[in-house]
Amino acid sequence: MSTLETFKSIQSSDFSRFISGQDHLFGAAVQLVHIVGLILVLSPIVLVSLRLLGIGLRNQPISQLAQATSWLIWVGLGLLAVSGLLIFIPAATNYAPNTFFWNKFILLGLALLTHITLYRKVTQSETPNATTAKITGILSLTLWFSVAFAGRFIGFF
Amino acid sequence: MSLIELSQLLYDSEAGTALRESIYAFPIVEGLHLIGLAFSFGLLMFIDLRLLGLFLPDAPVKDLLQPLRPWLLAGFTVTIVTGILLFVAAASKIILLDVFYYKLGFIALAGINALLFELKWGRSVSEWDNQQALPKAVKFAGFASLALWSLVIITGRLIPYLSYE
Repeated sequence: MSTLETFKSIQSSDFSRFISGQDHLFGAAVQLVHIVGLILVLSPIVLVSLRLLGIGLRNQPISQLAQATSWLIWVGLGLLAVSGLLIFIPAATNYAPNTFFWNKFILLGLALLTHITLYRKVTQSETPNATTAKITGILSLTLWFSVAFAGRFIGFF
Repeated sequence: MSLIELSQLLYDSEAGTALRESIYAFPIVEGLHLIGLAFSFGLLMFIDLRLLGLFLPDAPVKDLLQPLRPWLLAGFTVTIVTGILLFVAAASKIILLDVFYYKLGFIALAGINALLFELKWGRSVSEWDNQQALPKAVKFAGFASLALWSLVIITGRLIPYLSYE
């Protein structure tokens, strides 16, 4: 089954019809959850990345900052996934030809991969190598901001 | 000139029209508005949570407040500049929405809260930072900041959903 056919069957499912049948404020509420999730992900990334770059909370150990904020990232990703599916399902076929939609998920894959490998390793270490820390900070900021940017672009193309 | 006439003038202006009609400019400004938000509200959130004792309770407030201040002020600058551009591009529609005035009202209240905090507590942070429990007024300022900026984001996100009805 091609991607478009899969998306068609997703969009014509009973669950999709159920969502489409909701009030338009339901759509606005889902968008609100999506931006709350995004802020919960981006804020810790900004805080920890600035620290990794040596231009943020210099007096706090990197590992302590990462530990204290990691739950926010996972809660945020959970909210993004649920609200994202509710945005996607009733309009699935609209997204199939959208380049930014596909790019967003490639970028998201890269951001998550960096997060569970390099970011995790660097932020678990008490004294990470300064250069590795800087590269991780830049990579993490760039990738997560690119995901957000690509997401913002989807609706305009 | 009434507000509605002014908003129509902005909407019809070269800048407003160019922004609205450009394929890339509008989403780029939207994206920057979001990045500005991650630096402004995003970083301020951690300071507010610290004031409430919910984030790094053992770290001195000063150690968060001073290094983050330039970043969150830069974030607010980006958010405000891009926000003005987004308004100009759709001024005559947005000006008719109640939710837009609520948003402005919450921004004003959040701004006053921040200014009062900065004047009364922010500058003298070293004097009260070492106390076991932070002053009640400081905790209240942190809570008010979180609540008001959250309302700004909520009312802001609702703008496109209420204007295309």
